[in-house]
Amino acid sequence: MTTSVHLLEQFCLAASRAGAKTVRSICPATAADYIVRHAGGAIMLPDFPSARRLDLAALLQAHGGKVQSGDLLRTSCPAEAGITGANFALADTGTVVIESTAQEVRLASTLPERHFVLLHPAKILPDHMAAVPLLRQLHRRRSPDFIAFITGPSRTADIERVLTIGAHGPRELHILLLEELSDDFLEC
Amino acid sequence: MSRRTRRYRQRIYEALDDIRRQNALHRFGDAYLAARNEAFSGLDFDELRREIAVMKDTVREDWQTHVDTFIRQAEKSGAAIFVAEDGQAANQYITRLAQRHGARLAVKSKSMAGEEIELNPALEAVGMRVVETDLGEWIVQLAGQRPSHMVMPAIHLFRDQVAELFGKVTGAAESDDIAHLVEVARHTLRKEFLEADMGITGANLAVVEDGSLALVTNEGNARLVATVPPVHVVLVGIDKLVPTLEDAARILKVLPRNATAQAASSYVTWIRGPAPAPNRQRELHIVLLDNGRSKLASSDKSRDAWRCLRCGACANVCPVYQAIGGHVFGHVYVGAIGVVLTAFLHGLEAAAELIQACIGCRACVEICPADIDLEHIILHLRRRLAEKEGTGKVKGVVFKRILRNRRLFHGMLRSAARMQKPLTDATGSIRHLPLFFSPLTEWRTLPAIAERPLRDLLAEEPCIFAPRLRIALFGGCAAEFVLPQIGLAMAQVCRHLNIELVYPETQSCCGIPALYAGDVETAAELARQNVKALTESEIDAVVTVCPTCTSALVRHFPELLADDPVMAERTAELAAVTQDAAAFLSKQLDNLPPLNHPAIPHTVTYHDSCHLRRGSGVFLEPRKLLKSAGWSLKEMNHPDRCCGFGGSYSVLGQPAIAKAIACDKLQDIMGTGAETVAADCPGCLMMLRGLLKKRQLPTEVAHSVELLAACLP
Repeated sequence: MTTSVHLLEQFCLAASRAGAKTVRSICPATAADYIVRHAGGAIMLPDFPSARRLDLAALLQAHGGKVQSGDLLRTSCPAEAGITGANFALADTGTVVIESTAQEVRLASTLPERHFVLLHPAKILPDHMAAVPLLRQLHRRRSPDFIAFITGPSRTADIERVLTIGAHGPRELHILLLEELSDDFLEC
Repeated sequence: MSRRTRRYRQRIYEALDDIRRQNALHRFGDAYLAARNEAFSGLDFDELRREIAVMKDTVREDWQTHVDTFIRQAEKSGAAIFVAEDGQAANQYITRLAQRHGARLAVKSKSMAGEEIELNPALEAVGMRVVETDLGEWIVQLAGQRPSHMVMPAIHLFRDQVAELFGKVTGAAESDDIAHLVEVARHTLRKEFLEADMGITGANLAVVEDGSLALVTNEGNARLVATVPPVHVVLVGIDKLVPTLEDAARILKVLPRNATAQAASSYVTWIRGPAPAPNRQRELHIVLLDNGRSKLASSDKSRDAWRCLRCGACANVCPVYQAIGGHVFGHVYVGAIGVVLTAFLHGLEAAAELIQACIGCRACVEICPADIDLEHIILHLRRRLAEKEGTGKVKGVVFKRILRNRRLFHGMLRSAARMQKPLTDATGSIRHLPLFFSPLTEWRTLPAIAERPLRDLLAEEPCIFAPRLRIALFGGCAAEFVLPQIGLAMAQVCRHLNIELVYPETQSCCGIPALYAGDVETAAELARQNVKALTESEIDAVVTVCPTCTSALVRHFPELLADDPVMAERTAELAAVTQDAAAFLSKQLDNLPPLNHPAIPHTVTYHDSCHLRRGSGVFLEPRKLLKSAGWSLKEMNHPDRCCGFGGSYSVLGQPAIAKAIACDKLQDIMGTGAETVAADCPGCLMMLRGLLKKRQLPTEVAHSVELLAACLP
């Protein structure tokens, strides 16, 4: 097994252990279809490079999706789903790393019930330590910045230690692995 | 007993009556340990924690420079920084900021620093509404309480209680289904997030190299608090600074594993500067909190506590915490680290009762991800407390007048052996004591003082000619005057090994009782007497049959006599040759003649004494001893959990807590169905025997050296 395939396997296993769903080897159209079928309502779509590259808004609409964009905090009806890209991922913990400096990216990954993450399968690093140089670059590239390391859905065990999914953030985390995305680690 | 102590005792009794909570904390402790082991599988915990310790120490040594650099970097990112010397200054800064913005509602994600400085009442005093958004913290806020655990604030409450609290908020009868309750919180708090004028969070890490902050959460509330409101305040202790992002990565590998047994928490949020929002200016204010931390950093004996990552693990494994919970074994911060932090952040007076409530079992030391010797620091705080408040009249007289004078001390024990006869039964136990001493024998018998002390008995042992080795036995008070049969067993084993065992005449109490009570002078005097006694003649090793004595000889004597120019060297030499009987004998087993293995293998279960396992790292050796003697070993649940003895802890200090801990141990022993329970510490043996006898249970109690001696030809 090549290193990248190995990392991909490890990532998918760790992500599913953390409660995320991974969908592998799909094309943009299938991805859009998948998202629309699972979204359960309106979809927050912030502006990010891979979304532009795929013309994701049009794809989602073509599959019947109701897309929200712009100032997401001011939208009248609450979205059920949000889509963001991922800069890269960590294999050992199944974590996706998302540069979320733009408020719409932060909201799309925080407020809805379901969060869909688009990840290029070649952008998987072994662990957090391997990601430090990139984190450093992201920190230096612009100021201010906000970077999210997300592992599985939102959870709590604060009542009697019973694990309950969906505390304040998304109840579902879907990670879609597509090769048609930006392969730049500093870009979503 | 002071009024403060009486009040605290009352709280202990009340906590011990809450069986449901105790059971929950025990179940939690068990589940935590199992899941944590899994989370660390394949990783070298000791190496990881040593790295963290070294890194945190470098920051502590020069924290001012790190603070200055952090400020420069964070300012570059657009954040406003305020260094708060104390809680009042922090509260003032934050309330003024809120007033300047006309803020009426603040949402908070969990911040122990916020609890520490009582930020909520300060904000409420200027007319703000403050809503906690971490589920556990919200529950605790609604209950009008404070967190009873650093990571799981509401661990002391149950679903039905939560349902009742939530019902008051929603005005409807809420079902106690946990998924439903979480949904109620999600729904109710969502509105608060969106309407809040100010968001307040803590931070788990503040990175010096680039002024970034990391927030570690599972629920996602901190992300909302940091994203939606126009003003974000981060309240973070100066002890959370780490030099680089690599250092941060190291901590992030260990923290979730040790705190919640997760490989990674759901969210690690990195924040540098005020993240923008369309059409409005957001602000990020970082309040760097000292409030006693710099005092901690410069404390010679306690400074390692600066390393704390706030993972809460020391409470999870603490038998005292499991018995009385975090509201009683804690102030704002709970558990072992709570004892230390309270002393520095809230004052010695606030920590006084907590300092005495620690049983000293070192379970926290073993689990600490920053390699903090919490027991050691708590002992030191006990000394400071004793300097301030004294050790109490009884202990004062016993330590200063009696313990320092070996002839007097031993003479008194010998006459006590005669005087106790009317109270002693055939097995050498005191079942009942008259009048006001009676509570002491309510739940366990007390061991009587032996008719003849060990030194007299050993004098009658035959001599060995041309021995292979010559060792000195350090008996310790318990083996000398209460359980001399242990020392005799050691002598028998040595005879069969062709080892000469000498018993230096002038040895005395190891001084631990005085040291643990905070009387350092008496402890040092006894250390001096014992070092002299044990280094007078040529010997190959000093062996003890009490692991607490071992810790005195190996760890405490060198510290106590470090500044004594005459004794320091001899003390170090003594420490180097001292070991526990099991550790010594396990290397000698090949030299033993064939043993008479018991015909029907008697089942033995082994209790790891705290000072042997966690003090000396000895736990395989006694098991090897028992197995080689032919005993069939059956492990109990939690073999290394404290038995509740803790020296004077179970008699004078905290007998009620000791009883609760002892009853847990009893359950684990009985669960094995073993005929005998073995341990290597006379204190544990006395405790276990007393417990079993009081309940008229037939289980035998023996030192593992006794069980080895029983198989000698």
